[in-house]
Amino acid sequence: MTSGRIKRIMLGGIGRDNPVFAQVLGICSTLAVTNVLRNTVVMCLGLVFTLALSNLTVSALRRLMPARVRMMAEVLVIACYVIIVDIALKALAPDISRQLGPYVGLIITNCIVMGRAEAFALSNPPLPSLADGVAAGIGYSCVLLVIAFFRELLGSGTVWGARVLGEWWTNWAIMVMAPGAFFMLAVFIWIVKGAIPRAGNAAGKESGKQ
Amino acid sequence: MEKGVRGKMRERAFTVFFMFALTLVFVSAVSALHLATRDTVARKAGMYLKRAVLAAAGLDGGLDDAGVAALYDAAVTPEPDAARPARYAVRDPDTGAPRATVFPRAFPGLWGTIRATVGLGPDGATLTGVAFLEHNETPGLGARVTESWFEGQFAGKRGPFRLVPEGTRSAAVDEIDAVTGASITSRAVRDMLNALAREQTQ
Repeated sequence: MTSGRIKRIMLGGIGRDNPVFAQVLGICSTLAVTNVLRNTVVMCLGLVFTLALSNLTVSALRRLMPARVRMMAEVLVIACYVIIVDIALKALAPDISRQLGPYVGLIITNCIVMGRAEAFALSNPPLPSLADGVAAGIGYSCVLLVIAFFRELLGSGTVWGARVLGEWWTNWAIMVMAPGAFFMLAVFIWIVKGAIPRAGNAAGKESGKQ
Repeated sequence: MEKGVRGKMRERAFTVFFMFALTLVFVSAVSALHLATRDTVARKAGMYLKRAVLAAAGLDGGLDDAGVAALYDAAVTPEPDAARPARYAVRDPDTGAPRATVFPRAFPGLWGTIRATVGLGPDGATLTGVAFLEHNETPGLGARVTESWFEGQFAGKRGPFRLVPEGTRSAAVDEIDAVTGASITSRAVRDMLNALAREQTQ
Protein backbone atom coordinates (compact mmCIF):
# COMPACT_ATOMS: atom_id res chain seq x y z
CA MET A 1 0.00 0.00 0.00
CA THR A 2 1.86 3.01 -1.24
CA SER A 3 1.26 6.44 0.13
CA GLY A 4 1.01 7.61 -3.47
CA ARG A 5 -2.13 5.59 -3.94
CA ILE A 6 -3.72 6.94 -0.73
CA LYS A 7 -2.87 10.44 -1.87
CA ARG A 8 -4.50 9.85 -5.24
CA ILE A 9 -7.62 8.51 -3.52
CA MET A 10 -7.76 11.52 -1.23
CA LEU A 11 -7.38 14.02 -4.07
CA GLY A 12 -9.90 12.16 -6.20
CA GLY A 13 -12.61 12.28 -3.56
CA ILE A 14 -12.14 15.97 -3.00
CA GLY A 15 -11.74 16.98 -6.63
CA ARG A 16 -12.36 14.88 -9.71
CA ASP A 17 -14.61 12.27 -8.10
CA ASN A 18 -16.20 14.66 -5.63
CA PRO A 19 -19.43 12.99 -4.54
CA VAL A 20 -21.53 16.12 -4.75
CA PHE A 21 -20.45 17.97 -7.86
CA ALA A 22 -18.99 15.14 -9.92
CA GLN A 23 -21.46 12.42 -8.99
CA VAL A 24 -24.32 14.63 -7.72
CA LEU A 25 -24.90 12.31 -4.75
CA GLY A 26 -26.19 13.14 -1.32
CA ILE A 27 -27.68 16.47 -2.30
CA CYS A 28 -30.77 16.02 -0.10
CA SER A 29 -28.75 16.94 2.96
CA THR A 30 -26.97 19.62 0.93
CA LEU A 31 -30.33 21.32 0.62
CA ALA A 32 -31.50 20.74 4.15
CA VAL A 33 -28.70 21.74 6.47
CA THR A 34 -26.74 24.42 4.64
CA ASN A 35 -28.67 27.50 5.71
CA VAL A 36 -26.40 28.06 8.72
CA LEU A 37 -22.65 27.45 8.69
CA ARG A 38 -22.39 26.03 12.21
CA ASN A 39 -24.96 23.28 11.62
CA THR A 40 -23.26 22.46 8.34
CA VAL A 41 -19.91 21.93 10.03
CA VAL A 42 -21.48 19.52 12.53
CA MET A 43 -23.28 17.69 9.76
CA CYS A 44 -20.04 17.40 7.78
CA LEU A 45 -18.13 16.03 10.78
CA GLY A 46 -20.88 13.48 11.30
CA LEU A 47 -20.72 12.43 7.68
CA VAL A 48 -16.91 12.17 7.58
CA PHE A 49 -17.00 10.03 10.74
CA THR A 50 -19.71 7.75 9.35
CA LEU A 51 -18.15 7.45 5.91
CA ALA A 52 -14.66 6.72 7.18
CA LEU A 53 -15.68 4.12 9.76
CA SER A 54 -18.34 2.41 7.66
CA ASN A 55 -15.88 2.12 4.77
CA LEU A 56 -13.26 0.74 7.14
CA THR A 57 -15.67 -1.77 8.69
CA VAL A 58 -17.18 -2.94 5.42
CA SER A 59 -13.70 -3.34 3.97
CA ALA A 60 -12.50 -5.33 6.98
CA LEU A 61 -15.50 -7.65 6.70
CA ARG A 62 -15.46 -7.88 2.92
CA ARG A 63 -13.97 -11.39 2.66
CA LEU A 64 -16.28 -12.74 5.36
CA MET A 65 -19.45 -11.07 4.16
CA PRO A 66 -21.76 -13.31 2.10
CA ALA A 67 -22.59 -11.47 -1.13
CA ARG A 68 -26.33 -11.86 -0.84
CA VAL A 69 -26.58 -10.10 2.53
CA ARG A 70 -23.92 -7.49 1.88
CA MET A 71 -26.39 -4.62 1.57
CA MET A 72 -28.14 -5.58 4.80
CA ALA A 73 -24.79 -5.73 6.52
CA GLU A 74 -23.71 -2.38 5.08
CA VAL A 75 -26.90 -0.65 6.18
CA LEU A 76 -26.56 -2.15 9.64
CA VAL A 77 -22.98 -0.92 9.98
CA ILE A 78 -23.86 2.54 8.63
CA ALA A 79 -26.94 2.86 10.83
CA CYS A 80 -24.96 2.01 13.96
CA TYR A 81 -22.33 4.67 13.26
CA VAL A 82 -25.01 7.24 12.54
CA ILE A 83 -26.81 6.44 15.79
CA ILE A 84 -23.50 6.89 17.60
CA VAL A 85 -23.17 10.36 16.02
CA ASP A 86 -26.76 11.16 16.96
CA ILE A 87 -26.32 10.07 20.58
CA ALA A 88 -23.05 11.97 20.87
CA LEU A 89 -24.70 15.15 19.58
CA LYS A 90 -27.66 14.79 21.93
CA ALA A 91 -25.34 14.37 24.89
CA LEU A 92 -22.71 16.95 23.99
CA ALA A 93 -24.39 19.56 21.80
CA PRO A 94 -28.16 19.38 22.35
CA ASP A 95 -28.75 22.78 20.73
CA ILE A 96 -27.23 21.74 17.44
CA SER A 97 -28.91 18.35 17.71
CA ARG A 98 -32.29 20.07 17.97
CA GLN A 99 -31.59 22.30 15.01
CA LEU A 100 -30.43 19.47 12.80
CA GLY A 101 -33.50 17.51 13.82
CA PRO A 102 -33.99 14.44 11.65
CA TYR A 103 -31.12 15.17 9.29
CA VAL A 104 -28.46 13.46 11.38
CA GLY A 105 -30.49 10.25 11.32
CA LEU A 106 -30.93 10.69 7.59
CA ILE A 107 -27.17 10.27 7.07
CA ILE A 108 -28.10 6.57 7.06
CA THR A 109 -29.86 7.04 3.75
CA ASN A 110 -27.23 9.41 2.33
CA CYS A 111 -26.32 7.78 -0.94
CA ILE A 112 -22.66 8.76 -0.59
CA VAL A 113 -22.14 6.43 2.38
CA MET A 114 -23.71 3.37 0.82
CA GLY A 115 -22.21 4.32 -2.55
CA ARG A 116 -18.64 4.37 -1.25
CA ALA A 117 -19.16 1.10 0.64
CA GLU A 118 -20.46 -0.60 -2.50
CA ALA A 119 -18.12 1.02 -4.98
CA PHE A 120 -14.88 1.05 -3.06
CA ALA A 121 -14.80 -0.66 0.35
CA LEU A 122 -16.15 -4.01 -0.89
CA SER A 123 -13.23 -4.45 -3.27
CA ASN A 124 -10.34 -2.70 -1.50
CA PRO A 125 -8.28 -3.25 1.68
CA PRO A 126 -9.19 -1.36 4.87
CA LEU A 127 -6.59 1.41 4.75
CA PRO A 128 -7.37 2.73 1.26
CA SER A 129 -11.07 2.34 2.11
CA LEU A 130 -10.62 4.50 5.17
CA ALA A 131 -8.82 7.07 3.03
CA ASP A 132 -11.56 6.90 0.42
CA GLY A 133 -14.23 7.46 3.07
CA VAL A 134 -12.40 10.44 4.54
CA ALA A 135 -11.80 11.85 1.05
CA ALA A 136 -15.41 11.52 -0.04
CA GLY A 137 -16.48 13.05 3.27
CA ILE A 138 -14.12 15.99 2.90
CA GLY A 139 -15.19 16.45 -0.70
CA TYR A 140 -18.80 16.57 0.41
CA SER A 141 -17.89 18.93 3.24
CA CYS A 142 -16.08 21.38 0.96
CA VAL A 143 -19.14 21.78 -1.23
CA LEU A 144 -21.50 22.07 1.73
CA LEU A 145 -19.36 24.62 3.53
CA VAL A 146 -19.09 26.86 0.47
CA ILE A 147 -22.84 26.68 -0.09
CA ALA A 148 -23.57 27.25 3.59
CA PHE A 149 -21.21 30.23 3.73
CA PHE A 150 -23.04 32.01 0.92
CA ARG A 151 -26.51 30.98 2.06
CA GLU A 152 -25.92 32.26 5.58
CA LEU A 153 -24.25 35.42 4.28
CA LEU A 154 -26.99 36.27 1.79
CA GLY A 155 -29.90 34.83 3.74
CA SER A 156 -29.13 36.14 7.22
CA GLY A 157 -26.28 38.63 6.70
CA THR A 158 -24.14 36.65 9.13
CA VAL A 159 -21.16 34.30 9.12
CA TRP A 160 -21.05 31.72 11.91
CA GLY A 161 -23.82 33.68 13.64
CA ALA A 162 -21.80 36.93 13.70
CA ARG A 163 -23.25 39.86 11.81
CA VAL A 164 -20.95 40.89 8.93
CA LEU A 165 -23.33 42.74 6.65
CA GLY A 166 -24.66 45.96 8.14
CA GLU A 167 -28.19 47.14 8.71
CA TRP A 168 -28.44 48.20 5.05
CA TRP A 169 -28.49 44.55 4.05
CA THR A 170 -31.90 43.06 3.27
CA ASN A 171 -31.89 39.32 3.93
CA TRP A 172 -32.70 37.13 0.98
CA ALA A 173 -35.32 34.91 2.55
CA ILE A 174 -35.12 32.54 -0.43
CA MET A 175 -31.52 31.71 0.56
CA VAL A 176 -32.46 30.19 3.90
CA MET A 177 -35.17 28.10 2.32
CA ALA A 178 -34.55 24.92 0.32
CA PRO A 179 -34.83 26.56 -3.15
CA GLY A 180 -31.89 28.78 -2.25
CA ALA A 181 -29.76 25.67 -1.86
CA PHE A 182 -30.77 24.48 -5.32
CA PHE A 183 -29.66 27.78 -6.83
CA MET A 184 -26.39 27.83 -4.89
CA LEU A 185 -25.61 24.22 -5.76
CA ALA A 186 -26.33 24.81 -9.43
CA VAL A 187 -24.16 27.94 -9.54
CA PHE A 188 -21.40 26.13 -7.65
CA ILE A 189 -21.38 23.12 -9.98
CA TRP A 190 -21.46 25.46 -12.96
CA ILE A 191 -18.44 27.42 -11.73
CA VAL A 192 -16.46 24.33 -10.75
CA LYS A 193 -17.16 22.50 -14.00
CA GLY A 194 -16.19 25.60 -15.93
CA ALA A 195 -12.99 26.11 -13.93
CA ILE A 196 -11.68 22.54 -14.30
CA PRO A 197 -12.35 21.76 -17.95
CA ARG A 198 -12.27 17.99 -18.29
CA ALA A 199 -8.99 17.58 -16.47
CA GLY A 200 -10.34 14.30 -15.13
CA ASN A 201 -10.23 12.45 -18.43
CA ALA A 202 -6.48 12.66 -18.77
CA ALA A 203 -5.65 11.43 -15.26
CA GLY A 204 -5.50 7.74 -14.36
CA LYS A 205 -8.74 6.24 -13.07
CA GLU A 206 -7.75 5.12 -9.62
CA SER A 207 -11.08 4.82 -7.87
CA GLY A 208 -13.01 4.24 -11.05
CA LYS A 209 -15.07 1.32 -9.78
CA GLN A 210 -18.32 3.22 -9.45
CA MET B 1 -24.32 -33.76 -5.97
CA GLU B 2 -24.78 -34.75 -2.34
CA LYS B 3 -21.79 -32.69 -1.39
CA GLY B 4 -23.00 -29.68 -3.39
CA VAL B 5 -26.32 -29.62 -1.53
CA ARG B 6 -24.58 -29.86 1.81
CA GLY B 7 -22.17 -27.11 0.80
CA LYS B 8 -25.08 -24.88 -0.13
CA MET B 9 -26.78 -25.59 3.20
CA ARG B 10 -23.62 -24.70 5.02
CA GLU B 11 -23.27 -21.51 3.04
CA ARG B 12 -26.83 -20.50 3.89
CA ALA B 13 -26.34 -21.32 7.53
CA PHE B 14 -23.23 -19.17 7.53
CA THR B 15 -25.13 -16.30 5.91
CA VAL B 16 -27.74 -16.36 8.65
CA PHE B 17 -25.10 -16.77 11.33
CA PHE B 18 -23.11 -13.87 9.90
CA MET B 19 -26.05 -11.48 9.99
CA PHE B 20 -26.98 -12.56 13.51
CA ALA B 21 -23.45 -12.12 14.77
CA LEU B 22 -22.97 -8.76 13.06
CA THR B 23 -26.31 -7.49 14.34
CA LEU B 24 -25.57 -8.68 17.84
CA VAL B 25 -22.17 -6.97 17.96
CA PHE B 26 -23.30 -3.65 16.54
CA VAL B 27 -26.62 -3.42 18.33
CA SER B 28 -24.93 -4.28 21.64
CA ALA B 29 -22.38 -1.55 21.10
CA VAL B 30 -25.04 1.03 20.29
CA SER B 31 -27.23 -0.08 23.19
CA ALA B 32 -24.34 0.18 25.61
CA LEU B 33 -23.62 3.71 24.41
CA HIS B 34 -27.29 4.61 24.70
CA LEU B 35 -27.51 3.33 28.27
CA ALA B 36 -24.31 5.10 29.22
CA THR B 37 -25.52 8.46 27.93
CA ARG B 38 -29.25 8.13 28.63
CA ASP B 39 -29.27 10.16 31.82
CA THR B 40 -27.15 12.95 30.36
CA VAL B 41 -29.34 13.15 27.28
CA ALA B 42 -32.57 13.21 29.32
CA ARG B 43 -31.18 15.85 31.67
CA LYS B 44 -30.09 18.08 28.79
CA ALA B 45 -33.42 17.63 27.02
CA GLY B 46 -35.25 18.52 30.25
CA MET B 47 -33.28 21.75 30.49
CA TYR B 48 -35.19 23.19 27.52
CA LEU B 49 -38.51 22.91 29.36
CA LYS B 50 -37.04 24.31 32.57
CA ARG B 51 -35.54 27.27 30.72
CA ALA B 52 -38.81 27.86 28.86
CA VAL B 53 -40.87 27.80 32.08
CA LEU B 54 -38.53 30.25 33.78
CA ALA B 55 -38.37 32.50 30.70
CA ALA B 56 -42.17 32.60 30.47
CA ALA B 57 -42.28 33.68 34.10
CA GLY B 58 -39.76 36.43 33.32
CA LEU B 59 -37.01 34.81 35.38
CA ASP B 60 -34.38 33.92 32.78
CA GLY B 61 -31.08 35.69 32.73
CA GLY B 62 -28.13 33.96 31.14
CA LEU B 63 -27.81 31.19 33.71
CA ASP B 64 -25.86 27.99 33.03
CA ASP B 65 -27.51 24.56 33.31
CA ALA B 66 -26.82 24.18 37.02
CA GLY B 67 -28.13 27.67 37.75
CA VAL B 68 -31.31 27.02 35.82
CA ALA B 69 -31.87 23.70 37.61
CA ALA B 70 -31.40 25.32 41.02
CA LEU B 71 -33.65 28.28 40.22
CA TYR B 72 -36.30 25.95 38.79
CA ASP B 73 -36.29 23.80 41.92
CA ALA B 74 -36.55 26.88 44.14
CA ALA B 75 -39.25 28.74 42.22
CA VAL B 76 -41.37 26.32 40.22
CA THR B 77 -44.10 23.90 41.33
CA PRO B 78 -45.72 21.78 38.61
CA GLU B 79 -49.49 21.45 39.09
CA PRO B 80 -51.44 19.30 39.65
CA ASP B 81 -48.46 16.88 39.82
CA ALA B 82 -44.95 16.60 38.40
CA ALA B 83 -45.69 13.59 36.18
CA ARG B 84 -48.34 15.26 34.02
CA PRO B 85 -48.19 18.98 34.70
CA ALA B 86 -51.01 21.10 33.26
CA ARG B 87 -49.42 24.32 34.50
CA TYR B 88 -46.49 25.53 36.58
CA ALA B 89 -46.88 27.81 39.57
CA VAL B 90 -43.86 30.09 39.78
CA ARG B 91 -42.99 31.96 42.97
CA ASP B 92 -40.50 34.76 43.30
CA PRO B 93 -37.27 33.04 44.38
CA ASP B 94 -36.43 35.82 46.89
CA THR B 95 -39.76 36.77 48.48
CA GLY B 96 -41.74 33.57 47.84
CA ALA B 97 -44.69 35.61 46.57
CA PRO B 98 -46.63 34.18 43.60
CA ARG B 99 -45.08 35.55 40.45
CA ALA B 100 -46.70 33.78 37.52
CA THR B 101 -48.56 30.74 36.33
CA VAL B 102 -46.93 29.20 33.28
CA PHE B 103 -49.04 27.25 30.80
CA PRO B 104 -47.52 24.82 28.31
CA ARG B 105 -49.29 25.30 24.99
CA ALA B 106 -49.26 23.32 21.73
CA PHE B 107 -50.89 24.89 18.70
CA PRO B 108 -50.74 24.57 14.90
CA GLY B 109 -48.28 26.79 13.07
CA LEU B 110 -47.70 26.86 9.33
CA TRP B 111 -45.85 23.55 8.93
CA GLY B 112 -46.45 21.77 12.19
CA THR B 113 -47.18 22.00 15.86
CA ILE B 114 -45.60 24.84 17.80
CA ARG B 115 -44.95 24.19 21.48
CA ALA B 116 -44.59 27.18 23.73
CA THR B 117 -44.82 28.20 27.37
CA VAL B 118 -46.91 31.22 28.28
CA GLY B 119 -46.70 32.95 31.66
CA LEU B 120 -49.57 34.91 33.18
CA GLY B 121 -49.12 37.17 36.19
CA PRO B 122 -51.07 36.82 39.46
CA ASP B 123 -53.97 38.83 37.98
CA GLY B 124 -54.50 36.00 35.50
CA ALA B 125 -54.45 38.33 32.48
CA THR B 126 -51.12 40.16 32.17
CA LEU B 127 -48.41 38.22 30.34
CA THR B 128 -45.09 37.69 32.09
CA GLY B 129 -43.48 36.17 29.02
CA VAL B 130 -43.63 33.66 26.21
CA ALA B 131 -41.00 31.11 25.20
CA PHE B 132 -41.06 28.86 22.16
CA LEU B 133 -39.90 25.32 22.78
CA GLU B 134 -40.40 23.53 19.50
CA HIS B 135 -41.55 24.45 16.03
CA ASN B 136 -41.16 23.55 12.37
CA GLU B 137 -41.68 27.03 10.94
CA THR B 138 -39.88 28.27 7.85
CA PRO B 139 -36.24 29.15 8.58
CA GLY B 140 -35.67 32.87 8.20
CA LEU B 141 -39.40 33.66 8.36
CA GLY B 142 -41.69 31.94 10.87
CA ALA B 143 -38.71 30.47 12.70
CA ARG B 144 -37.81 34.00 13.80
CA VAL B 145 -40.42 33.69 16.57
CA THR B 146 -37.60 32.31 18.71
CA GLU B 147 -35.53 35.49 18.29
CA SER B 148 -35.28 37.55 21.43
CA TRP B 149 -37.02 40.67 20.04
CA PHE B 150 -40.12 38.57 19.38
CA GLU B 151 -40.09 36.38 22.49
CA GLY B 152 -39.20 39.35 24.65
CA GLN B 153 -42.07 41.61 23.58
CA PHE B 154 -44.82 39.94 25.59
CA ALA B 155 -44.02 40.82 29.20
CA GLY B 156 -46.57 43.34 30.54
CA LYS B 157 -48.96 42.94 27.60
CA ARG B 158 -52.57 41.84 28.06
CA GLY B 159 -55.12 40.51 25.63
CA PRO B 160 -57.07 40.46 23.49
CA PHE B 161 -54.09 41.11 21.26
CA ARG B 162 -53.70 42.88 17.93
CA LEU B 163 -50.88 42.26 15.48
CA VAL B 164 -49.04 45.27 14.11
CA PRO B 165 -46.33 45.24 11.41
CA GLU B 166 -42.89 44.15 12.62
CA GLY B 167 -41.06 46.85 14.55
CA THR B 168 -44.05 49.20 14.94
CA ARG B 169 -45.50 48.04 18.27
CA SER B 170 -46.22 50.87 20.69
CA ALA B 171 -46.50 50.78 24.46
CA ALA B 172 -50.21 49.92 24.14
CA VAL B 173 -50.83 46.74 26.13
CA ASP B 174 -52.64 44.92 23.34
CA GLU B 175 -50.19 45.52 20.47
CA ILE B 176 -47.73 42.82 19.47
CA ASP B 177 -45.25 42.82 16.60
CA ALA B 178 -45.91 40.34 13.84
CA VAL B 179 -43.03 38.67 11.99
CA THR B 180 -42.60 40.04 8.49
CA GLY B 181 -43.21 37.32 5.92
CA ALA B 182 -44.77 34.99 8.47
CA SER B 183 -48.39 36.11 8.76
CA ILE B 184 -49.73 32.63 9.42
CA THR B 185 -47.23 31.96 12.19
CA SER B 186 -47.85 35.40 13.73
CA ARG B 187 -51.62 34.92 13.66
CA ALA B 188 -51.23 31.45 15.18
CA VAL B 189 -49.30 32.96 18.10
CA ARG B 190 -51.87 35.75 18.55
CA ASP B 191 -54.81 33.31 18.45
CA MET B 192 -53.14 30.98 20.93
CA LEU B 193 -52.57 33.88 23.35
CA ASN B 194 -56.13 35.15 22.94
CA ALA B 195 -57.53 31.66 23.49
CA LEU B 196 -55.54 31.32 26.69
CA ALA B 197 -56.72 34.75 27.89
CA ARG B 198 -60.35 33.79 27.22
CA GLU B 199 -59.92 30.49 29.02
CA GLN B 200 -58.52 32.21 32.09
CA THR B 201 -61.19 34.90 32.37
CA GLN B 202 -64.07 32.43 32.15
